[in-house]
Formats: sequence, C-alpha cells, structure tokens
Amino acid sequence: MRKALSFVAGLLLAGFAALASAQGNPIKIGMSMPQTGSLGAGGQAALLAIRMWVEDVNAKGGLLNRKVELVVYDDQTNPANTPGIYTKLLDVDKVDLLFAPYGTVPTAPIMPLVKQRGLLLMGNFSFQVNHTVKHDMWFNNAPWTDASSWFDGWITIGKRVGGKTIAFLAADQEFAQNLANGARELAKKAGLQTVFDQNYPPTTTDFSSLVRAIRQTNADLVFIASYPNDSVAIIRSVNEIGIGSNVKLFGGGMVGLQFTPNMVNLGSLLNGVVNYNSYVPGLKYPGIDEFLKRYAQKAAEAKVDPLGFYLPPFNYAMGQMVEQAVNGTKSLDQKKLAEYLHTHEMQTIVGPIRYGPDGEWANPRVIQAQFQDVADKNMDQFRQPGKQVILWPEQYKNGNAIVPFDKARK
Amino acid sequence: MKFWIGAALALAIGVGLPLLPVNEYVFYAGYVVLTYVVLATAWNILGGYAGYVNFGPPAFFGIGAYAAVVLFKWLGAPLGVQIAGAAFMGGAMGFGVGLLTLRLRGIFFAIATVAIIFIMETLMVNWRYVGGATGLQLLRPQVELYASYTRMLFAVIAVMAVASVAIARYVQESWIGRGLRALRDSEEAAEGCGVPTLRLKLVACTLSGALMGAAGAPMPMYLSFIEPASTFNLAYTIGSLGSAIIGGMSHWAGPIVGAILLGSLQQIITVTISNEMNVLVVGVLLVVFVVAAPEGILGLFRKVLGRTSK
Repeated sequence: MRKALSFVAGLLLAGFAALASAQGNPIKIGMSMPQTGSLGAGGQAALLAIRMWVEDVNAKGGLLNRKVELVVYDDQTNPANTPGIYTKLLDVDKVDLLFAPYGTVPTAPIMPLVKQRGLLLMGNFSFQVNHTVKHDMWFNNAPWTDASSWFDGWITIGKRVGGKTIAFLAADQEFAQNLANGARELAKKAGLQTVFDQNYPPTTTDFSSLVRAIRQTNADLVFIASYPNDSVAIIRSVNEIGIGSNVKLFGGGMVGLQFTPNMVNLGSLLNGVVNYNSYVPGLKYPGIDEFLKRYAQKAAEAKVDPLGFYLPPFNYAMGQMVEQAVNGTKSLDQKKLAEYLHTHEMQTIVGPIRYGPDGEWANPRVIQAQFQDVADKNMDQFRQPGKQVILWPEQYKNGNAIVPFDKARK
Repeated sequence: MKFWIGAALALAIGVGLPLLPVNEYVFYAGYVVLTYVVLATAWNILGGYAGYVNFGPPAFFGIGAYAAVVLFKWLGAPLGVQIAGAAFMGGAMGFGVGLLTLRLRGIFFAIATVAIIFIMETLMVNWRYVGGATGLQLLRPQVELYASYTRMLFAVIAVMAVASVAIARYVQESWIGRGLRALRDSEEAAEGCGVPTLRLKLVACTLSGALMGAAGAPMPMYLSFIEPASTFNLAYTIGSLGSAIIGGMSHWAGPIVGAILLGSLQQIITVTISNEMNVLVVGVLLVVFVVAAPEGILGLFRKVLGRTSK
C-alpha cells in the first residue's frame, strides 16, 4: 500500500514539474564562442557582454514573458568544431535562436547549415562570410561591409593631408589580404601611386628589413594590414628604425591595436598611428557610457579585456537587436524576426543600425582614429576621449589629424 | 572469419544508421570520431608496425582535403572521385616521405615529417585558387538517398574506416607486417636476413599516406569550408598518434579502440566542460598511458587476461 501511495505521489510530482517547466520554459539562445585559441581573449570579453544583455533582459522580465537562457560552448577558434556544436544546439539542446561565434573562420562552416534549415543567424564581427552563401536571414553586428568600407576614410584622410604615394605591407593571411586588396583598389581610384607593395608570411617576427625597405621608398602614406602580434612588432620596429620624415599617415588595418593589453604595453609608441576601430570614447551613442562602466566592473572580476571597446558593445547590441525584433513581432518565428530586422532601424548602444539586403550594415561605420598624447603604462587614459581622436566618419569627427607622422610622436 | 562478420556488421550500421530518423548531431560528432579511426589506423601502419614516428598526419590529411577541393572546383567531381584523387595525392606524398627514411631515422625522421606540415600549409596559404589564406566556402551538391549531406558523409567515412582497418589488418598479418616488425626491432638485422627494408618502408609509407589523404577528402564538404590553419592543424597529429598510443600500437584493433575513446571523449568535453580541458585531457591520458600502460588499452587487456588465466 505504501509503495502504491509513493508511486502515485511520484507521478503527481512529475506532473507538476512538467507543468511548471512548460510555464517557465525559457527562451534558449545558443552559440559557440572562441574562449580558447587565437580568438579566445576577444571571445571571452564578447561573451561577458552577451551575458550582461541576458541579465538585463531577464531583469526586465525576459522575452515574451519567458526568461532568456544562454547555451554556449567553446569552439576553440577551430572551424572544424562549429558544425557539430551548432547541430547539437539545434537538435539536442533545442535552442530557439542562434548567435554566431566571434570571427569569420568559426562562422563560415555554419552558414550552409542555417541556410538549409532556414534559421536566423546574428553574425558576430565576421567579414563577408555571407558573400557566397547569400542567406537572407543573416545579420552581422560588425560596422563594416566590404573591404572598401574599412578604408575609404583612411584613404580620404590620406589624400586630404597631401598624400600622393602609398606603400602597402600586408600579412599573407586570412582577411588581412582582403583588407589590403580593398585598400589597394581605393588607392588606385584615388590616383595614389603605389611605391611599395609587399606581403609578409604570417610567421614573421622581425620586421626591421621590411620597415627599412618602406623607409627607402619615401612614401607619403604607409598602409599596414597586420595581425595582433605583427602589429605590435611593426610598431616597435618603426620606433627603433624610424619610418622617415616624409610619412604623413601610418596605420590603416592593424588588428590588435584595439586590444587593451597592446594599447597599454605600446603606450606612447602608438602616437600618430591612424588606425581602424569599431568604437572609441567620444562617440556619443545612447547607453554606451553606462554599459562600459558596468562592463569595466564585471571585466575586472572576470579578468577579461578591462576596457572592452572593440567587441563587447557590439555583442551587447546583438542581444538588443534580437530583443527589439522579438518584442516587435511578439514572436519567435525566424522568418518574421528576419523580416523585422530587414525593415526596421535597430536602436543599440553602438548607434542606430539599418540592414542592407545582404545582412550587412546599410551604412557602414568603421572609425579611423589617431592615437594622440598617449602616455606610457596607463590604461585608464584610454577611457577618456581625445587619446584616440576620431577622424572618420565625418559626422563623428572630434579632432584633427597631426601630420606628418613624426610630428605626432614628438 | 570473425573479423569479416564484425566488419560487415560495422558497415551495415555505418551505412544504415543515417537512413533512420536518428538525431543529426550523432552524425556530426560520429563523423569526427570515424575520421580519427581512419587517421589512427593509417598512422599505425608506419608508426606502430614499422616504428617510424610520423608527426605529419595534418600534411597528408590536408593534401587530401585540398586535392578534393581542387577536383570539386575544377571538374565538379563527385565525392568518390575526390576521395580517389585525395588518396592518390596522399599516397604520392607518402612515397616521398618513404624515400626520406633512406637517410633519416628516429627523431630526425619525426622532425622532417613536422616540416612537411609547414611546407604544405605555406603552399596552400599562397595558392589563391583554393582560397589562399582566407579560405574557400563550398556549396554542397544535392544529395540523394540520404536526408542530408552530413548523413551521407557519415556513411562514406564509415565505409572508409572499415576499409582502412581491413587494410591495416592485412598488412599486419601478411609478409609486409612481419617484415615491418623485423625492421622495427633492428633495421640492419632485418636487412641482413634478407628483408627488403626499403621496399617495405615505401609500401607502408604510401599506404599510410594514401589512407590519411583519403580521410581528408570529405572534410571540406563536411565543413562546407576550407582554410589552411585548421586543415593543417596539429590536433590531427595529436589525435592520430594519441589514439594509437592509448589504444595500443601492436595490433590493428588498438587504434580503433583509442580513436573511439579519445574522439568520443573530445566530442563530449567540447559540449560539456567546454574549455582548454579538451587538450588537457588528451595530454593527461597520453602521459598516463605511456607511463602506466605502454602497450595501450589492448596491452593492458592482455595483461589482465593473462593474469586471470594463470
């Protein structure tokens, strides 16, 4: 008798539990994020921002009166891992919505998967990853479109400061080549004469001979498309050897100069460099200052990028866009959400975003900023406007370029 | 006979399972595990039987993957032709590596095989036709019979796994295996006894290379993408070498046991603990097995069986 009673009680409990879980059934958002490997450091900071958005949206009562839950795995920056992870997210974890991993390479293999299944994918700082697949439910959070969107600002500034000749130095790797090709085309269109054009192998550690070769050319503009470690090595080489008094503009597509440890370590060596960025202090977007303040606290606890200018705001914005689309359509229907994102301007902490038909920003907003008056070994200086003076886009400009390059370094 | 019944059974499961309404994730994860079965089995032909430690599986795997991409892009070749082309390229490179063994042995041979990875990677980084450093996105063709391309790829890699194990078993049990074991113990003594060491090493290298190349062929279609850094990733060395060491190098079954254990463990860790643990687990397992069970799981098994029968 006792056995039968406990059996009935067990059944009832299980029934209640099932009922309760149906009512409070969370909306699951799934993603992989590179938390180790070459994109690991950036990925961890980006993930923190997404978690902040999840906290915020849940504090407001969630989406459609349901809590939001993030299911995230580490893809180790290895594209071989992402198809398996995203299939698990969809078929085992049964997530409702997908965010893409940070970066082009881990994202590329999941594009056919989402296209085949007709799923919305919020892109995460990838570059032209939808170019071949042409998925109409893809929305990238990065402020660029094609390669020319990165550097029309840089080339325009170069022309404005009197540049006539240009030297190119690019890593023979991944998108550095795409970027350099975009810049090469823009330079050609602008009538700049190319006096030096060289690719260097990604394993290069000593840039002294390359820097000497560039100095020999007496170029007005020096465009570099490099990866984080190379960027640091190139800046150090330029500091030791000098690039020549003729150079008016130096920088362009140097990846890594946006990352806090590099900025702090290089300090005053950065002065004069005009480089691309996604966000720098001084850009007055609604909510960004408050976000960065909260981020700084959490980043210190989580021991990730303490400034978090480059990726975190855009990852938070990714959440904000989904929030607006879900609230706007009152639905989780992927098609409706995609249509909403295509047809509405999204309000985010990185400014208003409107999407073009290819899921990239209709109005790209790559910042070109010059490091000015940067002191050594001081991280907090970068939190204030003026250390990275915005030269482009025109409407956000908050200072003038110091030319020639050498003058800004004195 | 037992082997062939087992092989037929494995083949039936591998080809039949994707036809059933099983969760797609099983095939994504299973594909990776079976790739390691092929790689580890292929590695063991040279590393286990002949004692020549090859650190270059990514080079063979990568050349296979890129051969498949070239055939697909250039001729629109079907997967079968891509695999055959990849096996040929892998085999040809294996033959070249076999010639290296004329002058290099032990650690020097191992270092030379590492160099091949970097040479191949640099070549592909600079070859724009296959996407260069940026990589190339590929659109999968329509698939018949199976519900999705990944399911078909699972069936294909299952067939390849069974075939490679059968080849490894043949090598082990035939005159080739006996000769390889002889030259592993002492190359000079083997040569003195009339074992054609160079010819055997060339056969082993070519076979091993061809199988690794074939294993790489379906990868670009599995990912719908190819780029050099992940294709020539040293993880393939760790996976194939680790599987053979953990499973046991003296028998064809060793790499299968090791690859299934290691591959599954890695897949599980990726979606559970999900961080550096993945690499750490392989490292710790390798250290534990090298110290505590140098003959691998099979050796351990034999030891335990031997003890209980006494």
